[in-house]
Amino acid sequence: MMAESNKTFLTVEMREAFFIALYKKAFSSVARYVAKMGGTLDEAQDIFQDTLVIYYEKIISANAETIVNEQAYLLGIAKKLWLQHYKKSMLSQPLNDFDIQADTDVQHASHKILHYLETAGRRCMDLLQAFYFDNLPVAKLAGRFGYSGVHSATVAKYKCLEKVRESVKQNLLNYADFIE
Amino acid sequence: MRTSLNNIKKIDDYLLGCMAPEETFLFQADMLLNTSLAKDVAQQDYTYGLIKQYSRKKIKAEIIAAQEKLNAEPEYQDLIRRIANLFKKL
Repeated sequence: MMAESNKTFLTVEMREAFFIALYKKAFSSVARYVAKMGGTLDEAQDIFQDTLVIYYEKIISANAETIVNEQAYLLGIAKKLWLQHYKKSMLSQPLNDFDIQADTDVQHASHKILHYLETAGRRCMDLLQAFYFDNLPVAKLAGRFGYSGVHSATVAKYKCLEKVRESVKQNLLNYADFIE
Repeated sequence: MRTSLNNIKKIDDYLLGCMAPEETFLFQADMLLNTSLAKDVAQQDYTYGLIKQYSRKKIKAEIIAAQEKLNAEPEYQDLIRRIANLFKKL
């Protein structure tokens, strides 16, 4: 079956119907593959969830191409994710302790900012998600978030970006390697 | 828009590749001379990464909720059983 390119989902309900249809269409073939490779049902579910996140990003992107066989495409992503998952579990620890420390510091800071934004800045983050991730046109975004028009929605978007960037600035001030 | 928002917009245009080539060249030269601008660009770029992480996490939560809804559908129970059987070790 052919999937539409550059899809737009205006509501959570539209996405839910889309994800349920994909589960019905492709989860059993992904589960069969993971079982054949020695994985568990939990791993198959986790791989399939990540597959759908990647697929969603792919089809909402501005330059999305038309996908001819959706089921085969999803299985292809899942196979790649399974191999990554398998390699990751087989990898030995890196030898350079300094790198580990630096990565951990930045990851910790990211986690902290994200947690803060998930609680204190949810409306802003939802607006930024709609624009930068879901690729909703500003006119549709204005309607969904209750702005009077395109101009107000655009200003609100930049205000939110400024607010989040300010949180990044405050939280990453101690990590000199961030900007060097 | 106030000046700070116009600066955010300019960086946004630069990072998303929406700037004209001549303007991009001037902007890059400005970044070399102005460390404060270079910092703002790096922080805004990092912010886009956070928006992506936030969005992926939310979409994954929606996918899990969709899966749970499907698992509760009576007509889907037979398929769930058949899928679970694939993982039974002999």
